[in-house]
Amino acid sequence: MGEGSDIDPADETSSKLRRHRDGEDPDREFGDLLSGALLDLREEIHSRFDSQIAPGDVGGRGTANWVALFEELRRRAPTLGMIERSGYVDDFGLDEQTIRRARPLLEYLRAHYWRVDVAGIEQLPSEGPVLLVANRSGILPYDGLMISHVVAESISERRRPRFLVADWLITLPFVQPYLARLGGVRACRENADRLLRMGHSVVAFPEGLKGAGKVFRQRYRLKRFGRGGVVRVAIEVGIPLVPVAVIGAEEAHPVLFKMETLARSLGVSFIPVTPTFPLLGPLGLLPLPSKWSIRFGAPIETEHLGAKTARDALLVSRMTEELRSEIQSMVDVDLHSRVGVWG
Amino acid sequence: MLKPGNIAITGLGTFLGRRLAERLAATQRGIGLTGVDLRRPYGLSNRVRFHPVDLTIPTADGHLAEIFGKEGVDTVVHTAFRREPTTDLEEDHELETIGSLHILNACAAAGVRRLVVASTTMVYGPRPDNPNFLTESHPLHGHPAAHCVANRVEMEALVADWAAGHPGACVTVLRPCWIMGPDYLDSVVRYFSLPVVPTVLGYDPLMQFVHEDDCLHAFETATLRNHPGVFNVVARGVLPLSTILRAGGKRLLRVPAAILYRLRYYPSQAQTGDRPEGFYDYLRYLWVADGERGWAAFGEPEYSTREAWMSFISSRRMRRYR
Repeated sequence: MGEGSDIDPADETSSKLRRHRDGEDPDREFGDLLSGALLDLREEIHSRFDSQIAPGDVGGRGTANWVALFEELRRRAPTLGMIERSGYVDDFGLDEQTIRRARPLLEYLRAHYWRVDVAGIEQLPSEGPVLLVANRSGILPYDGLMISHVVAESISERRRPRFLVADWLITLPFVQPYLARLGGVRACRENADRLLRMGHSVVAFPEGLKGAGKVFRQRYRLKRFGRGGVVRVAIEVGIPLVPVAVIGAEEAHPVLFKMETLARSLGVSFIPVTPTFPLLGPLGLLPLPSKWSIRFGAPIETEHLGAKTARDALLVSRMTEELRSEIQSMVDVDLHSRVGVWG
Repeated sequence: MLKPGNIAITGLGTFLGRRLAERLAATQRGIGLTGVDLRRPYGLSNRVRFHPVDLTIPTADGHLAEIFGKEGVDTVVHTAFRREPTTDLEEDHELETIGSLHILNACAAAGVRRLVVASTTMVYGPRPDNPNFLTESHPLHGHPAAHCVANRVEMEALVADWAAGHPGACVTVLRPCWIMGPDYLDSVVRYFSLPVVPTVLGYDPLMQFVHEDDCLHAFETATLRNHPGVFNVVARGVLPLSTILRAGGKRLLRVPAAILYRLRYYPSQAQTGDRPEGFYDYLRYLWVADGERGWAAFGEPEYSTREAWMSFISSRRMRRYR
């Protein structure tokens, strides 16, 4: 029993353990070796099956930790992908988790990349949904995203407006999932009407495709406002229209000209040619850092008109044209007062 | 509100027909139940009187009218539709469209007062220009490559015509979306049962399901009470396809549309006789239906889209580890 005797006999477990570990001792008998191994085995079993007994045992706890970690990972593995999104979206596909994650990027774009000047936001009614009507520019809907972000940041997240996006864009591969999570909704009457009745504000771009595909030569010249659908929806729901002028988004994606023939053969609405787009490939889709300003005009009340006047075609077209010229004059004023494209 | 007389169910072998017959047999005393199909389903309750009828033969309408008259049928529930598309498109058309025509003719001849027809929200079609919520009045575009859906669209047109010609009869068309639940099985469910699920690269549309119990509840209510018109039968809530699949512990195989539409056989768990885009476009574009009308008529659904999906997933897991 060589060295076993000089260890405190009270701590029998550790003594036997040590004896086993210093197994090189030639005097050791086979029986001792066996009993030491058995003791180890018993400790191992204890540490695995009963964590209450194990805490003092260093070797055993390490094993138990690995097992627990492995178990935890195995249990969680199917849900690991869920971390990036909350797994809950609202009826229109907006995911609050995605918005929370995208917020730093949007805030960077607003404050440092485009240095957006916001004016007139205090004119927005403090309660209830509004229909924001803006001039469309650029190819990707950065303008809608920015208006939506600015309103959510300066008023409250609860009043984040949804922005309407043309069909060709909302079904664009890779863009579609993100647009919907960030609050983009396909532009159509049914959607606008439902959103407003649900109490959400909406950003609409009544120029539609004509606006998105504007070439650089026609920048800041507002096209016809569809067929007055925006005004009609606002009158039907009885909510105010707010004109919004966005300056700078035209220069973020300056479209030099459009490739009509190629677009027709590929079955898309148009292929824009910007100074960077087909040249740099997908990198050319990144917007340029122009200086932006977003100005909110005075709300135009429609509640007093009554839902029935929505069928008065002359009134609707007159209001639509007034709205268009209002936004056009806001754009003109802002253009006149801006220092330069890059600010 | 008139008390329902005897009820006939066409397509007794289908999930909806069979389950509806069992529910009615269990809850409705004193109502005669008649079932029509090609073969007698195994283990059918004795309360259901069964008549074998082949809907595809030209004289089926006369035969059916005779059965309806003999059994004193007052309400007909038409569920004789394939639960999965077939490669035999002609036969499919004979059964789903012409078979429905036979049933409508027989109903007219037998003076049936209430008709409940099973359709699907797939008839709206997956389209880039769909609004986020399709109401019952939305035009039925179907899908140019999906014959099974085209047959339902044609069938709905026949039913609408018939309803206009028989103002005395109460015609209910129920359009459930994709049904999920422990027991329901069709090509869509088999697609969602794959461990690795192919989806269209770059697209992640919002999806909507309905639980089989909620669907059956809607059919039962429509069978027993007058609810004329068309109703979407859907659960509350929508979820992106990728979220659904991840919540079910599936792996996603994102394949570019151009390749996916040429793959016929692996994703052919969802094998349709049609070209693959007839199925995959439903996983590419939006076709979520607005359920308000159905919820108002048949009551709040018990399961949300997420709960319907989890009920399906948990039942599959139980089966795997049994």
